Amino acid sequence: MNVHQILSGAGPYDAVTTQALMFRDLFKGWGWGGRDVAAEIDPRIGDRIAPLRSLDARDGDILLVHYSAYAPKLRAVLDLPQRKLLISHNITPARWFWDHDPQAGVVCALGRKQLPQFAAAADVAAGVSLYNAREFGSDTVIPILFDPSGLGAPRAQDRAGWSASPTILFVGRLAPHKRQDAVIRAFELYRRRHAPGARLVLVGAPINWAYDAAMRELAEATSPGNVTIESGLTREQLAARWRSADAFLCLSEHEGFCIPLLEAFHFGVPVIARAIGGVPEVAGDAALLLEDADDESVAAELLALVAADGELRAALRERGAARVAAYAPRRTAQTLRAAIESLPAADLRTGA
Amino acid sequence: MKPEDALAAARAAAAQRDDTPPTGMSIQPTERVSIEQLMEWANIEPDPDLMRSTRRLGAPITWAKRQLVHVMRQYLRELQSQQTRFNLNVLIRVAELEDRVARLEERVEGERAAKP
Repeated sequence: MNVHQILSGAGPYDAVTTQALMFRDLFKGWGWGGRDVAAEIDPRIGDRIAPLRSLDARDGDILLVHYSAYAPKLRAVLDLPQRKLLISHNITPARWFWDHDPQAGVVCALGRKQLPQFAAAADVAAGVSLYNAREFGSDTVIPILFDPSGLGAPRAQDRAGWSASPTILFVGRLAPHKRQDAVIRAFELYRRRHAPGARLVLVGAPINWAYDAAMRELAEATSPGNVTIESGLTREQLAARWRSADAFLCLSEHEGFCIPLLEAFHFGVPVIARAIGGVPEVAGDAALLLEDADDESVAAELLALVAADGELRAALRERGAARVAAYAPRRTAQTLRAAIESLPAADLRTGA
Repeated sequence: MKPEDALAAARAAAAQRDDTPPTGMSIQPTERVSIEQLMEWANIEPDPDLMRSTRRLGAPITWAKRQLVHVMRQYLRELQSQQTRFNLNVLIRVAELEDRVARLEERVEGERAAKP
């Protein structure tokens, strides 16, 4: 069998590209062929992803379309006769971008508008979470393939107790919907009330230079010298941040899946997160979830509870390990393979 | 404490606090863009300071990019003014149409109310 993967764009640090390359490794392991193509390619990706024009699909082949942004060049793929599986990687609503990155706003608005067309043209359309799939009326889920082995081993056990200078971590793109501004305020409340020596580490690439500067200014004005903002970390550096973290605080207002939740569970780091989008589905009962009405003051008090209560941390750690097991690479691979194999046979579909 | 009890405990603890929360920029989504806001956006005016290289040791690249903008300024001004002219005229039409629809809706409501 040949499965060709089609991406709107490919780059060395792009999550969807990484996912497609991991899928390709699986396909090779299953003895499947095919090639991976993209409409736009960062030269640093090398020859692992080919230009879209080089797609040469034959009868009986399968097209796996990764949909993650407005992609006018991919429209032609919809007209191809081959069977299609669409995986939507979730697109952030444009309302979060108009004030800070209008171009991203346009791409998101058009991308969300175009998604139902792509979903309708696919034989099977799946989301990375049920929340995501339901946005276009599907209940097929192919989760993000999360393989923690590249991040290294988790901490052997919980720290005996939090130090006087605990580290609060958030990992996610420095973007408006991730609400790092709220994380900074919640952290500062926690620091003032409970732990004067606490530190906040925000890891994630900014959407643009101006937004990066605005967040740094806010951090410096709100909690001078206590907040670090980093991006472009290697996997080893990211793993080091996780190992030194005492809690993961996520006040994001839109998440389709949220891989950092699983990273936190892998490293045994307690998670406090806003119950939004795909977060409750991925986190299950392993995180302390804030509701809409809960403000930053409640988030700060949850941090204090986690810091003070070893029993609570142990329970979260145990439940987190179960969530990592639920998203084990082998399980996700089986789900992916089942979705591909569930596509109607080519001869049945064409009525031959 | 069980994880299920933590949120209620945190809410109770937060309710006891009377300290002032930190102020500063708070990100909010733009749910419905007003005509006034659209007018402001329609008049495109990119900030030249945003033209920069984010690479390490990118200062010479930033300088070269800004020189390029400077050299192209006549063309860019023309582009900007043509785009702004189009944007503003479309917006004025939209605003006029909104007013007209509102007037027509009022008239229909009035006629409906006047009918026995």
